Amino acid sequence: MKKTSIILLVVIAVCVAGMVMMVGDFSTYETFATARKKEGKKIHVIGALDKGKEVVYDPAKDANYFSFFMKDKSGEVTKVVFNGTRPTDFEKSTELVLTGKMVGSEFHCDKILMKCPSKYKDEQTAYSAQKDI
Amino acid sequence: MENIKYVGEHLLPGQLGHFFTILAFVASLVATVSYFSSVQQQDPLKKASWLKMARWAFFVQTASVFAVFAFLYYIISNHLFEYKYAWQHSSRDLEVKYLLSCFWEGQEGSTLLWSVWHSVLGCILIYTSKKWEGPVLTVISFAQACLAAMLLGIYVFDYKLGSTPFILMRQDAPDSPVFMNPNYLQFKQFVDGNGLNELLKNYWMVIHPPVLFLGFASVIVPFAYAIGGLWTRKYAEWVKPALPWALFAAMMLGTGIMMGAAWAYESLTFGGYWAWDPVENASLVPWLTLVAGVHTLLAYRSSGHALRSTFFFFIISFVFILYSTFLTKSGVLGQTSVHSFTDMGMSGQLLVLLGLFSIPSFWLLIKRNKEIPKIVKEESTYSREFWLFVGALVLLVSGLQITFITSIPVWNKLLDFFGLKKLFNLEDFAPPTEPVFYYNQIQIWLAIIVATLTAAVQYLKYKDTPKGTVMKKLGWPTLIAVGITVLIAWAGRIYYTNYGAGFLVAIYLMLFASIYAIVANFGYIFVVLKGKTKAAGASVAHIGFGLTLLGILISSSKMEVLSIDSMGVLNGYFTKESGQNSRENVMLPKGLPVQMGPYFVTYRGDSVDAADKSKTLFIMDYEKKARLEDEPAERFTLYPDAFLNIKGQEGITPNPDSKHYLTRDIFTYITAVPRKDVVTDSTPYQEHVIAQGDTIYFSKGFMVLNNLKTSPEQKNYHPEPGDIAVGAEIYVHTKSNGDFNLRPVYFIRDSSFQSNIPDSITPLSLAVRFTKILPNENKVQIEVKETQAPMDYVVMKALVFPFINVLWIGILVMIVGFVMSIRQRIRR
Repeated sequence: MKKTSIILLVVIAVCVAGMVMMVGDFSTYETFATARKKEGKKIHVIGALDKGKEVVYDPAKDANYFSFFMKDKSGEVTKVVFNGTRPTDFEKSTELVLTGKMVGSEFHCDKILMKCPSKYKDEQTAYSAQKDI
Repeated sequence: MENIKYVGEHLLPGQLGHFFTILAFVASLVATVSYFSSVQQQDPLKKASWLKMARWAFFVQTASVFAVFAFLYYIISNHLFEYKYAWQHSSRDLEVKYLLSCFWEGQEGSTLLWSVWHSVLGCILIYTSKKWEGPVLTVISFAQACLAAMLLGIYVFDYKLGSTPFILMRQDAPDSPVFMNPNYLQFKQFVDGNGLNELLKNYWMVIHPPVLFLGFASVIVPFAYAIGGLWTRKYAEWVKPALPWALFAAMMLGTGIMMGAAWAYESLTFGGYWAWDPVENASLVPWLTLVAGVHTLLAYRSSGHALRSTFFFFIISFVFILYSTFLTKSGVLGQTSVHSFTDMGMSGQLLVLLGLFSIPSFWLLIKRNKEIPKIVKEESTYSREFWLFVGALVLLVSGLQITFITSIPVWNKLLDFFGLKKLFNLEDFAPPTEPVFYYNQIQIWLAIIVATLTAAVQYLKYKDTPKGTVMKKLGWPTLIAVGITVLIAWAGRIYYTNYGAGFLVAIYLMLFASIYAIVANFGYIFVVLKGKTKAAGASVAHIGFGLTLLGILISSSKMEVLSIDSMGVLNGYFTKESGQNSRENVMLPKGLPVQMGPYFVTYRGDSVDAADKSKTLFIMDYEKKARLEDEPAERFTLYPDAFLNIKGQEGITPNPDSKHYLTRDIFTYITAVPRKDVVTDSTPYQEHVIAQGDTIYFSKGFMVLNNLKTSPEQKNYHPEPGDIAVGAEIYVHTKSNGDFNLRPVYFIRDSSFQSNIPDSITPLSLAVRFTKILPNENKVQIEVKETQAPMDYVVMKALVFPFINVLWIGILVMIVGFVMSIRQRIRR
């Protein structure tokens, strides 16, 4: 067998092995309930902001403490703590993707991805403005 | 709807624009068919007439594309807000230099830009590619027809083909009651447009997209040559003219990607120059495979090996370009990237586009695989071509790994589509929780291999290298590189243990590999090429590549956050998490110096930007000194800015400011400001009854009542005849902010009216008033208030990126190397 063929085979084997490993290692989207079972492990949770509960960011007290309540896909509401500032337009978000882990009864996240009604907010403002006429 | 006569609309530019889009589509179809026939036709007379027609068709499509571009620009620059594109992406107050940015903010504009570059490249090829014109232009014309189809916006039986940038607001939402009024354009929401996204108001955003899309567009040229070679069975001849184009495409694509990185770095929207965001990855992968293709092509030219892999690499590069278009424009990335476009209902069309090019190309490659000439004799392990091939494979693996992970949302869709998800009861896969480390830990090993090969392979000869000479020539560069590596690792204190010892080993290895690439290629220029720069293009590009890797490595392993908040140190700072979850935001009350690393930073106040009224500048004074009372060794002011609560947003859109040094950059940006609408200060005053010389403690220190004075002097107290006034002299000491004096005044006016004038220290949010005199006890009542929310403050982050210039210099050197190689290859 030619050397290049051997190398090709080795590379393909490595790729397949790598793929299998990577797939096994993929994280999934969880709910708070399943996250609690994996306390300490970093995971993603999708949900929406619970607008009825309080959203706290008071830089005078602590510039790195932002907390709110999120309702996950199963409907469970849990307190979320984020080590950072309050993201822009937070209350307008329709969906949140949090990356973090459960610590006791709180979910500590280090990344918040917000989905807003429209990415560059176009129609939204246009047609809501029309109601003013 | 139809019978309303609208007032003030400018319909002509849109109609013309739409007409020319259709013309471009039709003309490029004609060009495709004519070019195709000119290749298939054997009779020289018929061939020539097909060719003539094809050229005319291509020129017509080029002119049409330019016309479409011009009409769209006319609409944007004249603020014709009856058009959705202008309304969505521009506004009247937009500075002229950003008008082009709004052009490419939208999907249609960026597609148009791509199409413009295809046209330009096509015209150049008509005049330069000689006998390759037929096959190459067939491919480009067909691509043009596909791109034009994405801009058509017409219905073909119920399916909307493409999305036109010339759609009117009222056509976009015909049911909206506002459009029942013929004078709708006078309503306030149509007087001005929605405007450009604030983050895109950056000069890099004016030039990065055109360069990137020129890179995107030029990848089609080596692809078209490869297809032409397969199609006309001229398997060997296409290689020579394709090489300079492949180099050009790699150069432009690389430059475009790194301009985007420069934008991301300056605006910090991705938290640095590279964040492994899906949109970044999508454009990096074709670059990797294209570079791999360039190297196998070189191997083929000198040894006859690796022709099939060259075909493969050029085809897959273009397929990856289309795939990246699919990823960024179809909205499939949704939950994984905030930077991609949202779905416009074109994902089906984009998939068809991907299939139209990839399926026939790979089918052709497989069908003709046997016919492609190859050398039966095996290549030697001591030959350059063997290692070029290995390097190309490593680049491919790198690209595949990036694609595999970036495509996670696509896998989810596919599993769902085939019903496998239900079958195995699978949940949706999520992207890595720590993407940067996830990619780095794999890619760093591939980068080590590639960089080492970059250093060593040039010293090998094609076909075979006499044993012993390699080691002799490589010995010195290797030793020097080891020496420099040890020196940098030791002097630069490269000790990055955030992710364990294994990753640190990888970092040391990569440090060596990148330095090795630089040193060995320098050595190659001076020792082997004897300083002849004519043939040194490759070595120069490799030095640039090594510098780029070195810059990436140093700047990311030594990146530092200055603004570590030590508040609440006891609760939480020493927990397990604190190492990763550092508290990176610091609150700065106005006028109060706060220590950050070697600096004391003071927030002085804000002001409104002269050019853009919606922008607020924050004045941040930096003083380099060890202690507050020292004379600063260095002093500078940064002006980070932010858009506050624009367009109904709640919150801020910040833009950093930075101090550039040769060896590091200091970035500052505002992450939060007080909300002006909630100024509730309900904190009560605390009463203290004290005698002269007594002390009152408060959260930041203590204060002493030094003296009581009749006829006090204070700027807010204006004495009147008959006043009985007493002033308290209070000395205030704080732990970290220095000493102050307070002079609250108590007075009785008209012998009955008791009042007082408080005094305050704004930066401490401390207010003190003098409310009572208790003559019997020889005491006074002092009331102290510490406001919870200070009057004015900012929350900021400060970052230091060291040696980032190594990265930028590396990129520039790489570009120079590419230019030298292109010149050298064209001359030959």
